[in-house]
Amino acid sequence: MAPSEDRPWPARRKALLSDEHRPESGWRRWRLHHLHPAAVSLLFTAAGLLWLLVVDPILAAGFHGDGAKRLFEQWPNVLVTLTGGILLYGLLQARANSAARARQAQELRLSEFMERMFDVAFLKDRQGRYVLLNPAGARLACRSLSECLNRDDLALFPADMARKMMEDDRRVIASGELLSCEDTFTFQGDTRTFLSTKWPCRDSAGAIVGIIGIARDITVEKRAEQRPQRARADLEARVRERTVQLLTINENLERQIAARTRAECALRDSEERFRQLAEHIREVFWVHGIEQERPLYVSPAYEDIWGRPIHGLHDRPQDWIEAVHPDDRARVQAAHVAKRHSGHFDEEYRIVRPDGTVRWIWDRGFPILDEAGHTYRIAGLAEDITRRKLAEDQLRRQQVELARMSRLSLAVELASNLAHELNQPLAAIVAYTQACLALLHQANTDPRVLTGPLEEVVKQGLRAGEIIRHLRELVHKHPAVQSALDLNALVRSVVHYAQLEVRQAGVALRLELADGLPPALADDIQIQLVVLYLIRNALEAIGEENGEPREVILHTAPLDADRVQVTVRDTGQGLSPEVRDRLFQPFFTTKAGGMGLGLSVSRSIVESQGGQLWATSNPDGGASFHFSLPIHAPS
Amino acid sequence: MSDTPTVFLIDDDRAVRDAVGLLLQASGLAVETFASAAEFLDAGVVHRPGCLVLDVRMPGLSGLDLQKELRAKGHRTPIIFMTGHGDVPMAIRAMKAGAFDFIEKPFQGQTLLARIREALASDSRQRRRQACRDKAAARLALLSPREREVLERVAEGQYNKVIAAELGISLSTVEIHRKRVMEKLQAESLSDLIRLLALLNEQP
Repeated sequence: MAPSEDRPWPARRKALLSDEHRPESGWRRWRLHHLHPAAVSLLFTAAGLLWLLVVDPILAAGFHGDGAKRLFEQWPNVLVTLTGGILLYGLLQARANSAARARQAQELRLSEFMERMFDVAFLKDRQGRYVLLNPAGARLACRSLSECLNRDDLALFPADMARKMMEDDRRVIASGELLSCEDTFTFQGDTRTFLSTKWPCRDSAGAIVGIIGIARDITVEKRAEQRPQRARADLEARVRERTVQLLTINENLERQIAARTRAECALRDSEERFRQLAEHIREVFWVHGIEQERPLYVSPAYEDIWGRPIHGLHDRPQDWIEAVHPDDRARVQAAHVAKRHSGHFDEEYRIVRPDGTVRWIWDRGFPILDEAGHTYRIAGLAEDITRRKLAEDQLRRQQVELARMSRLSLAVELASNLAHELNQPLAAIVAYTQACLALLHQANTDPRVLTGPLEEVVKQGLRAGEIIRHLRELVHKHPAVQSALDLNALVRSVVHYAQLEVRQAGVALRLELADGLPPALADDIQIQLVVLYLIRNALEAIGEENGEPREVILHTAPLDADRVQVTVRDTGQGLSPEVRDRLFQPFFTTKAGGMGLGLSVSRSIVESQGGQLWATSNPDGGASFHFSLPIHAPS
Repeated sequence: MSDTPTVFLIDDDRAVRDAVGLLLQASGLAVETFASAAEFLDAGVVHRPGCLVLDVRMPGLSGLDLQKELRAKGHRTPIIFMTGHGDVPMAIRAMKAGAFDFIEKPFQGQTLLARIREALASDSRQRRRQACRDKAAARLALLSPREREVLERVAEGQYNKVIAAELGISLSTVEIHRKRVMEKLQAESLSDLIRLLALLNEQP
């Protein structure tokens, strides 16, 4: 079915689709060039002659009263008018011919286009019979073009497809509007999709005489389109799913953000509070960054205490350590290095202010951990403790003075004891000697009677020497302040000197000394004074009682791995609660002649040696005084 | 022998006791030594004339305790305290309690001997006065109640007339009582009578 076989399209079109049948809007029908050239020319000529021969004379007569003459004078104008009409005709005829030729050429091109195009183009009459159909349409119907014409769709296509097409045709005729639709049909054993556009064909009066349409087989495109469409649907489903997820996440996120905002507000509040606190406290608050190796924050009190500007510290972090007193600097520097690992810092040191004054600082820091538990910052407080330090110094000086005075008084008492011991043999020596002298003065004295008294003199002299040797031991033998100390030997030695007092008090003194007691580290003479004092204290406590037994027990024992303990236990009246509370206060005493310094000084002595002194009540009456001392660990 | 003034030496230190005892004996004094206050009290010599030489600090009953006990029993034997070391509060306590003296070891033998002799003299004086007091008291005990009433008024310096009026008796009766009092008390004159009464009123 070659297109060249017959070409009915232009001819047919001329018959049916002439100008008169072309649907045009109203105003276009009245355009001048649509009139026949002859009619236009005749009209022009008639109008000109009418003006010249009728209207003009009437108007002239009305104004001038001279109509006859004017008519006569009009003939050249009539001639011109006639000539103009002839020329106009010629002109219009020529133009009409050229327009017809152009239209013919256009129609020829259109018909060629119609025949070659792959889309189906058709013109149906109102009954649905094909009046015009291009070769693509005939190919679709699998018939020759002539077989198709004057037949309707039912005769050419499968029934369901034909019915759909005719239904569309009826809708176009009923509505008078353009209809465009996509239809899918099972056609020739294949599912095919057509995009068809139809509109009504009207005659010159506007009445619908048929239907014009174009249809395109878009099956391939449709299929091509459907793949991405499925992909898109798939994608959309996934997107929807994802959207739901995202929404959920978003909600969570919003909640989190809200929470965080609240937290941030709270944080901001607390930060504000913190800032106000940090800026107004008298201590220097600081935050040190481990990684940054410099202070991240230092509160304004730094300027007051250090007397140096804060910005100087930010520019030169070593400014801080340079302010430390040279004597303390090495120690503080070492602690500063150590704090990077431990996060902890606790040092007392002096600083020298630019004006040369010295201040004491108590500086302590603690680690700030990140979520992983690593120290990433150290926060700390540095406090000016100068006043406290001075007060402490003064207190320490006073304590030292008190201890010195009390040691003096203890020494005096000790000396008093020793003096008594020493004076006994001296008194004996003097008395023996004077007795001998008295005997010698008597005339009849046998010198041999002097032998006994003189031997006694020698004995008592030696006894006095022995006492002096003990005294020297007690006072001078131990020049080292702290040394390894055999507490058992010390207790025995002190008991020796207290023996007289013990005897006088009518008290039994018992020693319970632990075997293999490790040596203590302490000052010998000072601890002797403490033991002597505690024994004397125990004797005095018993002396005021009349009950039995009258006993003092001296007990030594290891206290724990690092300490040894000495206990002086008496059977005195014990400690009432109010006495126990004030026992160690200076100038507190229950004794008539006491100064109330012994226990407080003893405690000062023991504490200065790194030990402790305390008192307990015995379950069976009386009191026990204990003191501990560190064990001497031979290095 | 028992009336010979004796130095009672009490010291817990054997050497001191021995040496001082020897010194005192060499100086011609009678000495008895004791190792403790208890030993002295048990010896039953507290009433004998003499003096005590005591160490202040002694086990058991101390020197001060012994002093207190002897005074409580009315014994007025002078006590010389010895001390190994000058102990002022203790010395004050001892002296307030009536100690004769307080000497510090070691001491010059002469010093101790001088003090002991003073103490012995004081003791014999004391004992003599006591004897007079005892005699006067014995005489006073002989008076009848009425004579005692008359004596009290005479000692106050009242006239016989006033005494007679107060007691509601006659003047001649007062004069008789007064004469018997003078006889019984062995008083020669009014001044003798007054001295006797003063002796009796003396604190022992």
